[in-house]
This record gives sequence, C-alpha cells and structure tokens, in this order.
Amino acid sequence: MVIQEALFWFLTVMAIVCALGVILSRNPISSVLFLIATFFAISGHYILLNAQFLGIVNIIVYAGAIMVLFLFVIMLMNLNADTEPQKNRLIQFAGVISGGILFLVVLAAMRTVGGTAVDHTTTDIGLIKNLGKVLFTQYVLPFEISSVLFLSAMIGAIVIGKKE
Amino acid sequence: MKAIIAATIIGVVLMFTGILVKEKKGIATLAAILFFLLLGVNIWELSTLDANQPQAFFNNMLRIDRYSVWFNTLMTACTVLYVMLSGREIQKVGIHVSDYFALMSFMLVGLYMLSGYSNMLVLFLGIEIISIPQYILAGSDKKNLKSSEASLKYFLMGAFTTGILLMGITLLYGASGTFDIARFTFLQADSLNPMALCGIIFLIIAFAFKVSAAPMHMWTPDVYDGSPTPFTAFMSTVVKAAAFIAFIKLFHISFNSLSGHWTMIIAVITAATLLVGNVTAVFQQSVKRMMAYSSIAQAGFMLFAVLSISATSWQGLIIYAVSYTVATMGVFAVLMKLKDFTYDGFNGLAKREPLLAFVMTIFLLSLAGIPLTGGFMAKYFMLTAAVEQGQVLWLVIFALLMAAISVYYYFRVIIAMYFKQGSPEMSSPVTAGDRLVLVATAALVILLGVAPGLLLKFI
Repeated sequence: MVIQEALFWFLTVMAIVCALGVILSRNPISSVLFLIATFFAISGHYILLNAQFLGIVNIIVYAGAIMVLFLFVIMLMNLNADTEPQKNRLIQFAGVISGGILFLVVLAAMRTVGGTAVDHTTTDIGLIKNLGKVLFTQYVLPFEISSVLFLSAMIGAIVIGKKE
Repeated sequence: MKAIIAATIIGVVLMFTGILVKEKKGIATLAAILFFLLLGVNIWELSTLDANQPQAFFNNMLRIDRYSVWFNTLMTACTVLYVMLSGREIQKVGIHVSDYFALMSFMLVGLYMLSGYSNMLVLFLGIEIISIPQYILAGSDKKNLKSSEASLKYFLMGAFTTGILLMGITLLYGASGTFDIARFTFLQADSLNPMALCGIIFLIIAFAFKVSAAPMHMWTPDVYDGSPTPFTAFMSTVVKAAAFIAFIKLFHISFNSLSGHWTMIIAVITAATLLVGNVTAVFQQSVKRMMAYSSIAQAGFMLFAVLSISATSWQGLIIYAVSYTVATMGVFAVLMKLKDFTYDGFNGLAKREPLLAFVMTIFLLSLAGIPLTGGFMAKYFMLTAAVEQGQVLWLVIFALLMAAISVYYYFRVIIAMYFKQGSPEMSSPVTAGDRLVLVATAALVILLGVAPGLLLKFI
C-alpha cells in the first residue's frame, strides 16, 4: 500500500507540474513535450486504478500518435517570437479575473467535499475482458452510435481536404 | 429508435449517391425524397408509441416518450421544408452536394438522440454529432475566406466547450456514480453535494454556448455571417432547437429539485442574452448579420422554457422551436435570392418582386412577435410559463421591452422593401416552384399563429 501511495503522489505531482509547464513554457516544442509527460503521468494513474487497457491506449494513441503529429505540425509551422501575435493587456486581465473567479467558486465548493467519496477497493472493470463485455452489453448503443460521429468527421476530412 | 436507424441509413445512402449520381439536381431531389421518407418513419414511430408509457432502449440509454417523438417529427418536417426552400442554393455551395445532405441527415440522428436521451453518454454523443457536421458545413465554401474563418473559429471554441461539458458530466458522475439522468442520487440526498453543483454550473456554461446565449455568444455573429447562407439557415434553426431540447430535458428532469440553485443563473443569462442580441442587432448593416443577432435574441426567449419548470414551458418550447424555425428559414430563403445582403440591397424589392416582399414581411412580423403569426403565440406561451412560475416577473417585463426593440430592426427591412426606391439585384431567378413553397411557408406561419393547438395535439 505504501508503494502505491508513494506512486500516486509522485504521479499526481508530475501531472500537475507538467500540465503547468504546458501552459507556462514559451517554446511550443517544450509545451508539447510537457503534454506528453502529462499523458504518461495520467496513464500511470490508470494503471494504479487497475485499468491497464486505458493506460496503454492512452500512451499509444495520445502520447504516441497524436502528440507526434503535434510536434510535426509545430516544426513545420516554424513558429518563432516574431510571428507571435501581440496580446491585448486588457483581454489578458479580463481573462485572469474571470478564470480566477470560476476557480475560486469551484475551489470553495470542493473544499467541503472531503476525501470520503473515493472508493479504495480495487476493481477489475479496467481489464480488457471486462471492459469489452460492458462496452458490448450495457453501453452498446453509445458504442455503435459513435460510428455516426466518426463517419461525419471522415466526411469532413474529404469535404474540407479534397481539391475542387 | 426507428428514426435514428433510418436517419443513419439515409445518411450513408446519400454519401454513396455522390459516386453514382453526378448531377447535382438529382442528388438534391433524392435528398428531398429521402428526408420525406424519414418524416414518414417518424410518424410511424409516433403512431406505434403508447401515449402513457415511455419506451426505454438499451438499458435506459434512450427513453422515448410522445413528446420527444413528436418534437422529432416536427423538426424533420422543418428539415423537409428547408430542403425544398434552399435545395437549389445548397447545390451552389460546392461540389460535395451529396456529403452536405449526408451531414444534415447525421445531424438529425444527433437531434433524435438529444430529444430522447436518458444517459449522459448519449447526451455527449448527441451534442458532438450535431456539432461536428456544423463545423464542416460552416467551412464548406472553401474559396471564401470568411467561411474558413467561421469554421475554424467555431471548431476551436466548440471543442473547448466540449471540454467544459465533459468536465460537468464528470463532476456529476463523481457526485452520483451514475450516468442515468433520472437516477442522480444527489437529488434524493438531504445534504447538498458541492460536486454536483459545480457540475451543474459547467453544464450551464456548455449549454449556453451551444444555444448561443450571452456571454457565450461571441462566436455566433461571425460563424452565422461567414457560413454559406443555406447552412446558416439550418444551423440557426433545427440545430439550435436540438440543443434546447437537450437543455430543458436535463434541467427539468434531473435538476428540478435543485432549481433554487440555478434559476437565478439562468435568469441572468436570459436577461444578458436578450439585451445583447436585441441591442446589437439594431446597429447592424447587413441583414444576414442582423439575423445572427436576432437568433441570439430569440434564444433568449427560448431560455424562458428552461427557466420556468411547468407543462406550459414544454409546450412553449415546441411552439417556439417550430414557429421560429419556419419563419427564420423563410427569411433566409428570401435572403438567398438577393445578391446584396445589406439593408440597401432590399430597397424597392416590393416593386420588383411583390410576392417575395410580401412573404418576407410575414416572416419578419412573426419573428417580431406580432399577433396572428406563429411568433406571437410562441412568445405568449414562453412568457405565460414564466408568469405562472412567478419568480422572475422582472424578467418578463424586460423581455417585453426587448421585444419592442426587436420590432425596430425587423421593420427596417420591411421599410426598405416597401418605402425606399431602388432596384435590387437577384442572385437567381425566382421560379414558380419557389413561389409556391414560399407561399406555403408563409401560410404555415399564419396557421401557427391562428391555431397553435395543432402543435400540441399529439403530445
């Protein structure tokens, strides 16, 4: 249990620090690298929750495929300090104020929640066998209907990408 | 459920007609026929449904009652009307005509899911299924820079809001341990659950974006103005109605007992939406952009349905959705016939095309809420629901004031058409078929104003 707890805290701190790094670093490449590290930390959390399948899919799909695409796009765009648009101080200020207010409200509400809601018992729901079973029985309708979503996204790729 | 399957199949069929049928006109005709068949499927589903017994599908993922199926039927009928009104303009947008119609069919799948969902997962999928085709249709006029801008802007902001929606759903799941909207456990608990309240706030933000309510309305003018006009007509009507039924369903069925916590938030959003929509619309020079602000203002009125929890507000939503949809589609159908979208472009239309000017007047009167048109009955039902609820009388008075302002910018078009000199340029000739459909649409607007009970008969 001690190892698990230590791992949990390590991964949590890593996830939060890396997520802050994504938005605070000025270089887009290091932002992407921080984001990959965040995904690895979250995958670690999934594995701690006994959801190996989710953890591995998260690494393969997000950290692997999508983030590599991100890196390519950013490198091809050749971003540097000159092309960065000038930001309006007033809008920045308004954004900080409104975001801060939302943060305050959520924080004030969550303060009273406490840690009782978290279920510590390990479940086997994250294993591939159980996940597949649930996906094809209880959640079969959302699973099947998401095909419509992907189909329209594919149409979009053709409509927008094909030369007229 | 039958309608969802049928709409999916129709979407796939329409995709493939792009390979087989090369003629654009043939595709549009086929699409009109298929949407008409879809309407038939909806009526079939309505007739087989037991009036008192909601039907649940797939472990309560969908729970379909007469109200939702009747709503689907009406919105499908509006889509048929839309295809007949603007089928020719859709053919002019680009070369992928079959894909545009397929995307519309998929959006109807999303609408059917949103009117019948009983599970947060289905809600999320439905919202995405109506959103992603919109991003694509907004950018379908690729040679126009404004269209691409609209698409990108809508996509980025929409994706961000999806994140907020998911965060809200996650918090609700954390508070209750279930996705079923009828079984949220925090509703029965005596003590308040802060996680659930935070989730409700996030959901309000996400829904306000989807229905373009202030202060999350910033995308609306640019997107509606930049998108190809026929698609603006669809996005601002049927899709908006779909977002509204999801909104009202969740807040009335699930969060009814917590209404003390969110009524004030929605009331402030409603007031801001009415103010921003109506006042900004006054200063617009382009009728298309004015219609974008008008759709924000009309969303403000529809928010009354969410605000006041009663049977009247459910009835009001259906009447408002249909009469607003029909009138807006009519306005856009006339607008598409003109080359110049500014107010000056309408100068002297009554002399050149008296019939077009006449039906346009009826549509605008309906949007302004003048008696004997559908828009009046719609506003009447909404405000009655709010008065019955009794908590927000100040808002009702404010809404009446705003409705008076809306008369100004709607009537500017009528004044330009009838009392100003000019020779408007037409983008395409007005055929006999166009006239017939436009007159039928105008007749429908009047019919809704005289006998709104027709819409409530089948609930």
